[in-house]
Amino acid sequence: MTSTDNTVPEPLGASAHSTGSVQATSATDNVLLDVRDLSVIYESPGAAPVQAVDHVSFSLRRGEFVGLVGESGSGKSTLGFALTRLQKPPARTNGGNIVFDGSDIRELDTEALRRQRQGGFAMVLQSGMNALNPVRTIRNHFMDIFRAHGHVAAADREARAAELVRKVELDPSVLASYPGELSGGMRQRVSIALALSLEPQLMVFDEPTTALDVLVQHAVMDTIQALQQSEGFTAILISHDLGIVLEATQRVLVMHEGRIVEDGSSRDILERPRDEYTRMLLSHYADPRAEVVELPGFPDRQSRAASGRTRAESATSEPTVVTRSVRSADSAIVVDHVSKVYPPPRRGEKPVRALDDVSFTLEPGQSLALVGASGSGKSTLAKLVTGIERPTEGAVRFGDVDVTRLRAKGLRDLRSNVQMVFQDPYAALNPLHTVEYTLSRPIRNMTDLRGDEARARLHELLETVGLTPTETFAQKLPHQLSGGQRQRVVIARALASDPQVLIADEPVSMLDVSLRAGVLALLEDLREKWGVSLLYITHDLLSARLVTDDIMVLHDGRVVERGVTADVLRNPQDDYTVRLLDAVPNPRRLRGDVA
Amino acid sequence: MTSTQNVRIPAEGAADGAVAAPSRWRSFGRTLGVVWSNGKARVGIVILALFVLVAVFAPLLAPYDPKDTSFERNLDANGAHWLGTTAAGEDVLSQLIFGAQISILVGLAAGVLSTLIAVAIGLSWGYLKGLSSEVVGFIVNLFLVIPGLPLMIVIAAYLQNGGILMIIAVIVVTGWAWGARVLRSQTQSLRSRDFVTAAQFSGERAPRIVFREILPNMTSLIVGSLFGAATAAILAEAGLEFLGLGDSSIVSWGTMLYWAQNSNALLTGQWALLFAPGLCIALLALSLTLINFGVDAVSNPRLREGKAKK
Repeated sequence: MTSTDNTVPEPLGASAHSTGSVQATSATDNVLLDVRDLSVIYESPGAAPVQAVDHVSFSLRRGEFVGLVGESGSGKSTLGFALTRLQKPPARTNGGNIVFDGSDIRELDTEALRRQRQGGFAMVLQSGMNALNPVRTIRNHFMDIFRAHGHVAAADREARAAELVRKVELDPSVLASYPGELSGGMRQRVSIALALSLEPQLMVFDEPTTALDVLVQHAVMDTIQALQQSEGFTAILISHDLGIVLEATQRVLVMHEGRIVEDGSSRDILERPRDEYTRMLLSHYADPRAEVVELPGFPDRQSRAASGRTRAESATSEPTVVTRSVRSADSAIVVDHVSKVYPPPRRGEKPVRALDDVSFTLEPGQSLALVGASGSGKSTLAKLVTGIERPTEGAVRFGDVDVTRLRAKGLRDLRSNVQMVFQDPYAALNPLHTVEYTLSRPIRNMTDLRGDEARARLHELLETVGLTPTETFAQKLPHQLSGGQRQRVVIARALASDPQVLIADEPVSMLDVSLRAGVLALLEDLREKWGVSLLYITHDLLSARLVTDDIMVLHDGRVVERGVTADVLRNPQDDYTVRLLDAVPNPRRLRGDVA
Repeated sequence: MTSTQNVRIPAEGAADGAVAAPSRWRSFGRTLGVVWSNGKARVGIVILALFVLVAVFAPLLAPYDPKDTSFERNLDANGAHWLGTTAAGEDVLSQLIFGAQISILVGLAAGVLSTLIAVAIGLSWGYLKGLSSEVVGFIVNLFLVIPGLPLMIVIAAYLQNGGILMIIAVIVVTGWAWGARVLRSQTQSLRSRDFVTAAQFSGERAPRIVFREILPNMTSLIVGSLFGAATAAILAEAGLEFLGLGDSSIVSWGTMLYWAQNSNALLTGQWALLFAPGLCIALLALSLTLINFGVDAVSNPRLREGKAKK
């Protein structure tokens, strides 16, 4: 770090916390935040307590930009909330202390806490963009803060607000807008500017870009990095994505099950990871542009494809005895010059053209990736193919069935052949039904199996998706399963009717990195063993490279590029494809830059 | 500062992952536990339980037959008649005790019936789209815009002296529409969830989706609307009886008020005649409302956690 010339103690902090600064640890007055043995516990009535943060110790120097990485449930957000005193019951700090700028923040009373939000610590939340009051303009939001703390003279407030907005690369004209008139990325920038308006010494960013579109994510991260450098505040970036963190920060703390398992410079973590867990996280990153792409449990597709895509060759083990008859798909999905226009969202606006003249054919047994950022129309296409919605123009056919003309009965028949894997495994399972019930319904509705046969089929499905012992899993409710296990149940349900086509709408985007490879491998395996064709919808080019043969890039409802996946990704023609590729976080690219 | 924090509350999943198949009864017990752990709800449950016990054991508890007119008229409270006697010479305490039966019966029956109608109509209304939804909407709105009490009075006057069943019918007919509207909006938000789409992909038909997938996810809302409907029913019953639109020969809190008013109880200084049934009606309605605070906590875990601690 070079530009830490503003280490002069700011007068604000000193006056506000005159009470608790007896512990004179000021030998290193360079330290802004010192956390010692911090533990946070969740105590919900009627549930066993959960030690979310377990004896965590670290310290931050002024002006440092530190990443805090961990998968869901690792306690990283809990730690962030504890640091900023924003935690709520049932969370409770049950040990350790947090010394911020010389005073223990656990001892601040409510008023002192409120006062130190200015010039102290601030937090930007994942859903921060939704925290703006929809009936007040952005200007009002700034004025509220200035008035509450009175740190900006009334005459300068307007200018200061404009300056702050400009810092996050927005035009000052947004001050007059209402939150609803701004895009998600703009709102997240506004919430960063609001946090900045308090001139904090410490900023905690909790997944600031996760809720944003891939391309916007990148731009917002760039802004955060630039701001951190120009303003010189100390920052903690909490993220589940090691790739993003390594690209942005100088030092990284890796959290796992409530403990910090590794603490080192980004470079060290990238090149010499010491902890097993860090190594595991790192192994799940790869460059989709590379000649050979390999992930744990995922041999390179290219090498398999080279041998003429024969199934026997690609199978790692001897072909296992499959208990059901292997039937490969025999009908293609044909999408023929399809357009979809939605009525205008508000009066006086133009109708939304979600899809514009899209054509493709999904051959039996083929796997096709449909790639694009949000709003590119890829999910609309999935709805048209499955008959949930009807196209404005054009035709969708499955075999010789015209999907666009189907009514209730026909749709049921279609869905025994075309099944869907949903994006969010947490929302796609009814929380009140056991796995057994969930899986038994499609078996009952779409096959002739009854009684013992149906039960045998159910256990076979669970075995196929790797949920063994099947008797145990059949009795579980969704909340007793992990995200990856839930997604396996969703896949098992899709397979229950023995479909010819699987439509997977971002099947791994809600899952932790370490679980993704497993689910992707399962999809790939099913396609090879069962001959199911796969329409894989995603914004994540790395996973597209892993499980698909062909790719189609959608932008604003149009197909901008299509071809063999490996070719397109290694040699992208369209500018939009290049931008999507650049948005894939890849720590190894960083290594290339530094070297 | 920005504030909507989505702190990840470790769901039960983390804790009781080891627990094998949780039975329906256990989750029912846990729900009751949540309601009971709410202080207000606990008070409500105690009050309601008292009234129910009184109603069930009325023949044992009441000192006299409530229709026995053999006592001296217009007595003030004394050792033999704790709350005095009416203008017709009946024991007020015995009437009060027996009156609980009618109020609780009407509250329960009318509440359950109107909630059943509200669930059936609200859920299908929320699930349907297009013209059929518009038609249902028109009918529900019709019932919503007609002022309830006048309608009740008109129907009750038309079906003169139909007894307690008539009262229940009138309350049900006028009381289901609001619940239907509330349940419809919740159904609309649930129907766009992935698990409903997934059920369609599993080949489920509409009625099964509505009643097996969506309905169980709204249990606490339905229970809440049941308690709301029961409260309204108890109040409406007392109101109708007080206006003399019911069967004035039965003993209920409403008819007690009716006769007390007819005999100018306040002018004769017998305030207990008006006050006692009035207080009972208010307490019974209050108990149900208090229980609803606990039911709210079932559907919104946030309400369970209490105040922020350091």
